[in-house]
Parts: sequence; structure tokens; C-alpha cells
Amino acid sequence: MKTKFLFPSTYKKWGWIILIPAAILGVIDLFIETQPAFFNWTVPALYKAEFMGKTTYFGWVENNVLNEILAVLVIMGSLLVAFSKQQYEDEFIAKTRLESLVWATYVNYIVLLVAILFVYDIGFLWVMIFNMFTILIFFIIRFHWQIFKMKTSESHEE
Amino acid sequence: MKNNIKVERAKKNITQADLAKLAKVSRQTINAMELGKYVPSTVLALRLAHIFDVEISDLFQLEDSDWE
Repeated sequence: MKTKFLFPSTYKKWGWIILIPAAILGVIDLFIETQPAFFNWTVPALYKAEFMGKTTYFGWVENNVLNEILAVLVIMGSLLVAFSKQQYEDEFIAKTRLESLVWATYVNYIVLLVAILFVYDIGFLWVMIFNMFTILIFFIIRFHWQIFKMKTSESHEE
Repeated sequence: MKNNIKVERAKKNITQADLAKLAKVSRQTINAMELGKYVPSTVLALRLAHIFDVEISDLFQLEDSDWE
């Protein structure tokens, strides 16, 4: 089937190879907040507003880039896993893909709505950090689960 | 919509995987159709009828619920 906007199926493997270590390191980094000096770089910034400090537009700023690198890798890995074609990307898979995307969007925003109403201060910041990635993660889980279910129920044939 | 894919497949003595290959779709798609969980596109329906060498109406039949 001809599809738009999807990566070749071989990219999925690379997606997992990037996503799994980046996600593990990302979560570790969130909790222990290491800032290795090796990652202290001077980087171009469109906008930086320091808490109770100065604001920079279109300048250079000092920053520890470890969390930026991990976030980029998690997003790139997730996109590759989510949007690489299945080996047979046919019409049923396309339907499952669409339904899973709708489902993931609903679940992501239901979680966010609950968080907006019932989570406050730093707690809400934590939710926002995870919420940057959860729509893709929810999609990946739902989509592969649906495909897996259809695969296993067929093993009961005859 | 009802279908006789499983019956036709048994007549031809081919597995879901074989049929998937012939129809150029995934095995999940064949399985989902046999379980009545997926209604194929016209193109895929025609392809399946062609593979089994039957009329499309022999392979797929409307049900009352298709008129609701």
C-alpha cells in the first residue's frame, strides 16, 4: 500500500536502538539531575529567561546540554518507532494506526486535564516534562498491542 | 458483513500466512477479516475473490446490521 509520511520499515529497529537507552538515561537524569561538566557548552539561544534574572533573545548562553541531547534522542527514537512502516503496511494496519493515534491523543489529554485540575506547583512541572513525550509513548504501546493481539489470536486458527 | 474467507481457505488448503502472501497483506489483516473485525476495501475484496476464483458475492455477504 502506498503511504504518506511514514519512514521505511527498516528504520523502526534504529528507533528502538535510540529510544530505549535514551529513555532510560533520561529518566535517570531527571531523578538524579547530574550535570557533568563535559556537557557545559555555550549554545545559541532564541530565548532564555532566567528565574529572577536576565532575559536573552537571540544570543549565546551557557547551558548543560545533557538533558537537551536526551530529549532530542527520545523524541527522534519515538518518532521512528511510531511512524516507521510495518513490514506489511496494509489497509488494516493503517486503520489500526489511525485509531491508535486518536486513542493516544485522547488518553494524553485526559491525563493532562486531570493533572491541570489536581496537580500543582513542581508536581505539575513534572507532569509537563513527561507530557512532552507521552503522546508518542501511548501511541507506540497501543498500536503495537493491537497488532500483537491480532497476531496471537491467529495462532489459534484451526 | 459476513465472509467465507476461512471456508474458501480450507477448500484451497492454504494457511492464513499463505493467503496473506498471495493477497499482499499482513497476516493480521487476514485474521481480522476472518474474525469479522475488519471489513476490507473494495480492492482487497476483489483481490481475494480473484485468488479464490469465486464471485465477490460468494465471498462476502451483507448482514442486516449493514443497513443500520
